[in-house]
Amino acid sequence: MTDLPRNQHIIASGLIAAIGVSIAYISFTQEPADAFIFPRLISSVFAVLAIWTFVKAILGRTKVGNGISGEAMRNMLPGLVVAIIYVYWAAKALGFYTATAIAFFALLSLYDPAPHSEMKSWVKRILITAGFMAVMYGLFALLLNVFTPREIFF
Amino acid sequence: MKNWIAGAALALAAMTGQAYADGHGDYPERPIMMMVSYGAGGATDFQARIVTMTAGNEDALGMPIAIVNRPGAGGRVGWNWLATEAEADGYTLGAYNIPHFVAQSIEGGVSYSTDSFEPIANWGADPAVFVVGADSAFNSMEDVVNYANENPGGLTFSGAGLFVGHHIAALQLEKAAGVKLAYIPNNAGGAGAMRAVIAGEVLGGVNNLSDAFRAQAAGNVKILGVFDLERNTEFLPDVPTMVEQGFDIDNASVNFRGVMVPKGTPQPIIDKLAATVPAMFENSRVQSRMAAGGSPMQIMTRDEVLEMWAARQETLEELLAGL
Amino acid sequence: MEFLYYMGDVFTPINFGLLLLGTIGGLILGATPGLSPTMAVALLIPFTFQLEPQQGLILLGAAYTSTVAGGAVSAILLKIPGAPANIATTLDGHAMATKGEGAKALQLSFISSAVGGVFGVLLLIFLTPVLAQWALAFGPSHLFWLAILGVTVIGTLDSSSVVKGLLSGCIGLWLATIGFDDIMGAQRFIFHPAVSGGINVIPALIGLFAIPQVITMFTKGRSSDDAEIISVQKHPIRLAFVEVFKRKMALTIGTVTGSIIGLIPGVGGQIAGLVAYDQSKKFSKESEKFGTGHSEGVIAAESANNAMVGPSLVPLLTLSIPGSPTAAVLLGGLLIHGIFPGPDLFMNYPQVAWTFIDSMLIGQILMCIFGLYIAGFAANVARVPHAVMAAIVLGLAVFGSYSVQNSMGDVYVMATLGLAMYFLERFGFSAAPLVLGLILGPIAEANFIQGSMIANATVGTGTYFFTGWLNWFLILIVLASISYSIWMEIMSRRYTTKDDAVAKEEALS
Repeated sequence: MTDLPRNQHIIASGLIAAIGVSIAYISFTQEPADAFIFPRLISSVFAVLAIWTFVKAILGRTKVGNGISGEAMRNMLPGLVVAIIYVYWAAKALGFYTATAIAFFALLSLYDPAPHSEMKSWVKRILITAGFMAVMYGLFALLLNVFTPREIFF
Repeated sequence: MKNWIAGAALALAAMTGQAYADGHGDYPERPIMMMVSYGAGGATDFQARIVTMTAGNEDALGMPIAIVNRPGAGGRVGWNWLATEAEADGYTLGAYNIPHFVAQSIEGGVSYSTDSFEPIANWGADPAVFVVGADSAFNSMEDVVNYANENPGGLTFSGAGLFVGHHIAALQLEKAAGVKLAYIPNNAGGAGAMRAVIAGEVLGGVNNLSDAFRAQAAGNVKILGVFDLERNTEFLPDVPTMVEQGFDIDNASVNFRGVMVPKGTPQPIIDKLAATVPAMFENSRVQSRMAAGGSPMQIMTRDEVLEMWAARQETLEELLAGL
Repeated sequence: MEFLYYMGDVFTPINFGLLLLGTIGGLILGATPGLSPTMAVALLIPFTFQLEPQQGLILLGAAYTSTVAGGAVSAILLKIPGAPANIATTLDGHAMATKGEGAKALQLSFISSAVGGVFGVLLLIFLTPVLAQWALAFGPSHLFWLAILGVTVIGTLDSSSVVKGLLSGCIGLWLATIGFDDIMGAQRFIFHPAVSGGINVIPALIGLFAIPQVITMFTKGRSSDDAEIISVQKHPIRLAFVEVFKRKMALTIGTVTGSIIGLIPGVGGQIAGLVAYDQSKKFSKESEKFGTGHSEGVIAAESANNAMVGPSLVPLLTLSIPGSPTAAVLLGGLLIHGIFPGPDLFMNYPQVAWTFIDSMLIGQILMCIFGLYIAGFAANVARVPHAVMAAIVLGLAVFGSYSVQNSMGDVYVMATLGLAMYFLERFGFSAAPLVLGLILGPIAEANFIQGSMIANATVGTGTYFFTGWLNWFLILIVLASISYSIWMEIMSRRYTTKDDAVAKEEALS
């Protein structure tokens, strides 16, 4: 268990170092050079700092950051899946209001501690979802006149 | 909850109905969005908000037009979006600035050209002018060019960016006077360029007539010349044109502002817009607000704009080929 | 004292009604994630077409004042800064809310907003001519050094590790270069169409702050329930006043920094809060408490970002140059009525100009009253169960970032940055320096390029960037700030062990 954060730190800082080095490479090879002066400067500092952090992580001398425990990962997974489907696909494909209502209800059902066996808790979830959607519709569609994607319903 | 379902059912029915009816007779059925590729508060944004304010009237479109700003890189961000990502359903309009987007498309690195858009109507024409600080030693364009001759490449002057109207004017001046100048594009647009002139960071600047007129009224700048074919009789009757001062410069840099839609928008919608929008600009309330704000208007119909676009394309290709 | 003469005009029924409307509306709009003051004011412009010039400006002025303060509500309760101005407020404000002191945090923020705001407007009334010169004094070289100063703040802002703070800042600076380069128009790092227009600050802000919140709530799972729900402590308003005025140092630093920085065109509003926060942290006797829900943090940040409201209008009212995007929108509000701001504005249209300024003064106080009134029950947001909260924040984040420029791309950027930020946070990086980098990057770059273009045409780069008392002064502060960071790093190395750092982290999360 003690080594879990250390390995995670190595992976995380390794990824960042890889990004740093690759943007530095891109900055120094892209044209026109005039437009890349500033990116070159930043990416050099970025790459150096990232490699430093990476080396420190390998040496196990990272001071801050707790990593992610196995339990936290298990807990967040279902919510994350719902959120990702909602944001990257459903919001556009089903329309904002439909997708938000479904995602909202799904998240409540996944994380709200009220027992699933009781009718009462389901009614409560539906009511909260409906209330939230009413507020969002009032605020964004009626007050601010924002036209969000509407595919299936409204 | 019941309302929600009822509303949803209604919307569904409406949508299926819409899918079967082929015509766009009911257009517009909902508020329309107009993209402005400059920030809120800029001259284009300000004028766009005024000329569209009567869109909701029954004699105009009957639906309001909402302005959405997509600023960045001299307009490239917004026009790229309009050309590649915007839905061509008639509910997404865009404001154009000529010669900006034409010059940028010739210069390259963007995904639009005059073929990516369909003009609807033109509302304004804002010539570029040459300004210097109120306490500057320059009193005519001749003084400016003399200074530039003595200090080649040392005459710093600001403008709103690269490959926008101001830059075109700067290039024309360089070519006509046969001198090298130091054009400093400002990242904060026309307002930032004007600020640089007033603060004395640069020796002069190219700016919009409407903004320069205000700055002159406030006693901050002197206007030395107009980059247009004729003097502006309404706002600056005393300021001579460049031709009058001996520089062969036409109106290629005049900033024409108008409304367009992305290519692919259904023809009936384009026709409907082309018929109603110029009339909307003629509205007396629009006219009086524009005049109050010091914004010169020039209303042109779709056909006239198409002609103007083609003419600009030609002149700019010629001008920019020499770079 | 001319402004007192026109004070009566603010209290005519219609004008006062509009002032109330603008204030309440502004608070609501400001508290909505994704709606920056600029957008809120732009949304109101069409309504002013129908009104008299004076009335239209009262509405706009009131809305401007209260949207800036309203942004603190979502910053404190949801940890979503309503606008860049409120980033610093999240640092201590949200920490207070999670301790059940949401009511106190909101009260402090509204009171210090009003103090800063009134001071700023008084500066506008009495010192406008002097300030106008100051606003013009900042050329490209000075703005460049100012942005660098902001960058040096990054390292010490909100992280136990200076290196990771700087690295977060670099990530932000790099993100800012994505898209079209502002001056040359070249395309940089466009690896996905969603970022072809660059990364818009507001959606990025929402994502970086809100999404890690949502995921953290997910990690608590379904089992832990009632234990999580915090009891919201009642906090008498009287005590909030006492607290604000007891923290004289933070209040003074916040107000003064906000007023001075607010004047500088283009930079001011966005970083005033962060710079004030950083300064009062450095001068405070209890600097180690910053970031853990310390009242000074909220007071400094909020007094600064409202103090900047008045001075930010100086360049507009005297020189007719809008110094900030919001001022640009207000300029539009003036122009449609044929009023040209300039040195003789107060002579030609005294009734419009002075009533506008007076209404901002009264608006600050009204904003404070309404703010204090809602603070009590708004704090109950902290009692919302985390499942509901996660869903609400996610929904708001999606709608808020979409509404900035009606773009799905912004929603993807928001979510992607947010997702990445969650993992970064778990490994000791923090969002505030990253956002600061994102904001300062374009300022530093554009001014560097403009400065060197001017320099090459005239005196040469070295002379241009390194001479003149203002350049020297700014360079001096930059050096002082860097030395301070290095000194802090060495000092903390000496006595911070890994266990201490971990313990502090645990206490925070």
